[in-house]
Amino acid sequence: MGVSFPSTDYFEALKARMVEQDEKFRRLGYIDTTFGVAVGQNGKARNFILEFEVFDLKNVREVASIDLKQVDFVLEGDSPVWREMIENIKRNGQADASHDINTLAHFGERLKIRYDDPDGHDKLYRFMESIQEFFDLSSKLDVSF
Amino acid sequence: MAYLATNNYFEDKDFVDKWLYTMRTGELDLSWMNAATEKVKPKEANPRRGLTYRDIDLGSYGYTDMPEKVRRNRSYAPRGAEIPEGVPDAQPWVSRKSELWAFNTESYYEEAVSRQWNATTDIPWDRLEGVELPENIGKSLSQLMTFLTEVEMIATDTPAMWLPRLNPDFIEVRSFIASQAMDEARHAEVFRKRALTTGWGLMQASPMNEMALKHLRDADSFSEMSVALHLVAEGNVLTLFRFSEYLSPTDVDKRIFRLVMQDEARHVGYGMQHFKYVLEHFPEKREVLHAHLDEAENISFAGAAATELTEAFIILAGGGMKQENIEEGIKITTKFNLKQMQEHFERLDKCGMPERRERSKLYKMYEMGVAAAQAAGINLN
Ligand SMILES: [Fe+2]
Ligand SMILES: [Fe+2]
Repeated sequence: MGVSFPSTDYFEALKARMVEQDEKFRRLGYIDTTFGVAVGQNGKARNFILEFEVFDLKNVREVASIDLKQVDFVLEGDSPVWREMIENIKRNGQADASHDINTLAHFGERLKIRYDDPDGHDKLYRFMESIQEFFDLSSKLDVSF
Repeated sequence: MAYLATNNYFEDKDFVDKWLYTMRTGELDLSWMNAATEKVKPKEANPRRGLTYRDIDLGSYGYTDMPEKVRRNRSYAPRGAEIPEGVPDAQPWVSRKSELWAFNTESYYEEAVSRQWNATTDIPWDRLEGVELPENIGKSLSQLMTFLTEVEMIATDTPAMWLPRLNPDFIEVRSFIASQAMDEARHAEVFRKRALTTGWGLMQASPMNEMALKHLRDADSFSEMSVALHLVAEGNVLTLFRFSEYLSPTDVDKRIFRLVMQDEARHVGYGMQHFKYVLEHFPEKREVLHAHLDEAENISFAGAAATELTEAFIILAGGGMKQENIEEGIKITTKFNLKQMQEHFERLDKCGMPERRERSKLYKMYEMGVAAAQAAGINLN
């Protein structure tokens, strides 16, 4: 079944794949973070809040805007960057060395990381491998843009 | 011999008679069954997570109601047990809660246990087979790994040497510190393994770096050690791991750096939460911590500029040693260096030490560095 990006359906589909791969995510360990994903389109943004707890994505919702004080961090980028990342994951089965989140976001050239509290920002790195593996589950979806 | 038993039990007739008497008669003492301790019924708050330290934060066993100064226990009696006469004094150096406690201490330990990984089996080492890096890239990667192995060995020693100095009533912090020593041992392992798998073996140890690292071991109090290790050094190392992941020439290196950065970010997280806690609960410590930061920042400034490290970075960042590679490498390395400093001050601000920027010589260097980078046309975003 295809899903479109950006949408809550896309994240819900990743959530379902995460449940199927419970063993793998348990092995990676607790993931306790709430973060935002912002996708820029024609000067506007579609914003999502993802709430992870223990080993699961507990909740995802679309919001009009994201208050940085309510989340640990926000991954923000224009739609073509997200699309390139998702298509790369589909092609390779996982993000290749130029398309993983840290590489895309490192100097803020492609994805930007916004945060209010550096402790929240550091949670991206504390749970990095789980977050990367979560996005890598896109390889199992048919995504339209 | 450093410590002798207070009695020679082999020669103590009463003791030996009692041992034989119990065997002979089966007569039991059972006074321990009347220990004046509390009965509790712990429950998992979230069965998916399991039974956590937070779930057993109950009554006299808990940490929430611990006194600021632990006077009652100087032995290995577990917090909440009855402590009879005669337990030895374990001579802890740190018996004041605000000297080592952090907001959410217990969750850092639980997270550490849950997110352990294995450098032998979780890295796809086989994918390095047939990977031939150009000589200057391979040697630079190996130099970086040599440097990081030195870093991780001191990062193992420092928490480990503080462990027996912490009052056993602080079991959650002690557990976290033990988990950190394990994390750092694994980091030393993974970097050593990667150095040798480059095909170039190890490169050169760094006197400047080791001088900087030795400072971590020589703190007068746990809080001073923590600010130097968890905030200054590991804050820098966390930025360095993210940078190294970004530069990594293979997906195997990317995975190594993603896994080590998880542990490092947890250590920094504990450090931030401790720093906040100590500033709030032990305000007299603020000046002492400033003074320790003066030294730690001086040393980290020098360590970060060690030739063996910066040159390897420049070559890795620029992708080689041609003129245009070096120019690009210098730009990227400068951005990284300034980012390290910027993030350091952001963390101190948020922990409740915003005045640090005024006092810090490192901050002046940061401003000078930003101006020089801009003058050189380096885009700092
Ligand atoms: Fe480490
Ligand atoms: Fe560390």
